[in-house]
Amino acid sequence: MKYFAGIDIGSTAIKISIADENKNLLGHKITASGSMFYKYAHETLDALVSEIGINKEDIIYTVATGYGRKIFKEADENISEITANAVGARAAARDHGEIKTIINIGGQDSKAISLDEEGNVTNFAMNDRCAAGTGKFLDACAMNLEIRVEDLGEKHFASTGTPLSINSTCAVFAESEIIGLLGNSHSVEDIVCGVHYSIAKRIVKLVKRVGIKEGIYFDGGPALNIGLVSAIENELSCKIFIPQYPQITTSYGAAIIGVDSYTYEN
Amino acid sequence: MSYINRSENHKIETPVEKQNRHKAMEAIKVINTLKEEFKSPLKSMEYFYRLFEDVYCHQKSLHTDKVKVGTMCIQIPSEIIYALDGVPIRLCNGFYTDDEIGSDLMPSKSCPLVKASVGHLSSQNLSDKPHMIYSPTTCDQKTKAGATIESFGYDVVDVDFPRTKESEISREFFRRSIRSFASDLSKKTGKKLTKKNLKASIGKIGYAQSLYHRLSDLRKNKNLPILGVDMFLVTNAFFFDKINNWIEATEMLLQELETRVQQNVHVGGKISPRIVYTGSPPIFPNYKIPLLIEESDAVIVADETCSSNRMFNDRVAVDEWFVNDMLDSMADKYLKACTCPIFSKNDDRIRRIIELVRSHNADGVVYQAFAGCTVYELEQRSVLEAMEKEGISILYLESDYSPSQSGQLSTRVEAFIESLKMKKRKKGK
Repeated sequence: MKYFAGIDIGSTAIKISIADENKNLLGHKITASGSMFYKYAHETLDALVSEIGINKEDIIYTVATGYGRKIFKEADENISEITANAVGARAAARDHGEIKTIINIGGQDSKAISLDEEGNVTNFAMNDRCAAGTGKFLDACAMNLEIRVEDLGEKHFASTGTPLSINSTCAVFAESEIIGLLGNSHSVEDIVCGVHYSIAKRIVKLVKRVGIKEGIYFDGGPALNIGLVSAIENELSCKIFIPQYPQITTSYGAAIIGVDSYTYEN
Repeated sequence: MSYINRSENHKIETPVEKQNRHKAMEAIKVINTLKEEFKSPLKSMEYFYRLFEDVYCHQKSLHTDKVKVGTMCIQIPSEIIYALDGVPIRLCNGFYTDDEIGSDLMPSKSCPLVKASVGHLSSQNLSDKPHMIYSPTTCDQKTKAGATIESFGYDVVDVDFPRTKESEISREFFRRSIRSFASDLSKKTGKKLTKKNLKASIGKIGYAQSLYHRLSDLRKNKNLPILGVDMFLVTNAFFFDKINNWIEATEMLLQELETRVQQNVHVGGKISPRIVYTGSPPIFPNYKIPLLIEESDAVIVADETCSSNRMFNDRVAVDEWFVNDMLDSMADKYLKACTCPIFSKNDDRIRRIIELVRSHNADGVVYQAFAGCTVYELEQRSVLEAMEKEGISILYLESDYSPSQSGQLSTRVEAFIESLKMKKRKKGK
């Protein structure tokens, strides 16, 4: 058997997907990037290989992507996360209609990607060098509110008052805003809801830059947060599609690119 | 990998729900700031905080039993509307949410206030929807907005308004305009203007004005009993509140302020510069500049704007208590006393600003114009010159309704306030 690995080394997490020749996803693994990207990426790959019970030698083509892709020197190919994300999203959604727009929120950036009918990237926009509207922003907020990031979604729907918007777009200043709100004993739920809407509004602005086309796919870790999903849907006024494993779309895309490159080369 | 839609069970907001949420979020932000960010909050302000929260966060309707008469500007006499058993609702709008809706209907460089008012009406989502709208032909944008609003299905009546106020022609012109407005509204409400009901409503509005004057007098004190932002909220409530409730709440506020003055309570700091605010009107929740000023250790002691001082300052002066004479007196008040920069010559405005600086012992003036509010932008030069001549420090700012621009503005506001403090310190020595 021939296998293909997509390795997405992000600022917060390392995501690895393994696909077979038919581009089916066989397995995936997510670990924290930590301080030693290179070492952890190898460890994660080894763990995944033994988990799904294949021989590492059967991985005949590896594609690295993500912010840390250049450090994974053993990769056969290097590809930007935008291309990989587009390919992965199309493949993940192949039975569910056409994807025309992708929203990706990562640990340190957020992107909007616009696709044509064939799945080519026609336009994309990224946030400025700043943590506003990223996963880090959510992390910081959860920490200030003393709740787990995983619980943000639930808190969102428990909000009964008016969502309290966070005006600062800077994650650092937003922290002090949140502390101020807590100091005046506003409910955590209303603050969480406001945080989600603040991010959602920024994301929608980003999507507007590439043009909102329905058939919207949302991935990246924050897509696991149902409160944020609902806030983005409300701001966009349409439903968006969330894959089963929102974090691995890009690594899956990289694995698929591996299949194509290998086929082309041989 | 397959799809699962985690949000399947959640309904997406309708456009109206979305608009309401956006506005509620804007409103609560400002209300919370007023409630929480300043020292010594006033107990009697709670009525006003609750009122704005009810109306803008919970879309509460205030007038269910009356004919609601929408007005597009300050020049429609409320006295006539009350006399004909209607309630005036001023439609000037301060929401960024509505400004964004209006941006699709008007050129992007238009005044945010007009855009927001048009956007609000186009959404048809008003907690107190007017049965008819009177639109004085004041500035270009408001004049044209009237026709746009009519296209949304509202009954809009233009009220001719002259662009000069010195001449006898304009005086006679506006008197005829007001008579025609009164007879139109009388037909629509099926009520007649009588000596009695008109005199009574002139009395009631006059009383509300007298309360404002007393408030204004209290702000002359060295120890300032109330913040400018709170005052803006009080005068803003007059746009739509039930007048009797407003009067009652303002009487309570006056009592509390009088006690404060006796006890030498001061809402500012020791050296907080005293500011007179002028220019395009701050309308809830667009209190961006007033909040910047008062969060930067200055206090607003008076204002010259159509959402506040200009609405209350001058009273109707009647010679003879006959219906036609009362109508003429009202026309004179709403034209002659108006200091809107739409007029060709408008020295009255400069005089009033100087008067307020002197009477309220102010240290400087902040002149704010909405980007796109051409007339205030145009009058900036003459006002700045006049202030310079009088030795009054003035800061000119341009802003809009967007929430994102505060950073650049705050530096300028803070620098201005610091310069006033320096002057104050030197003078003190």
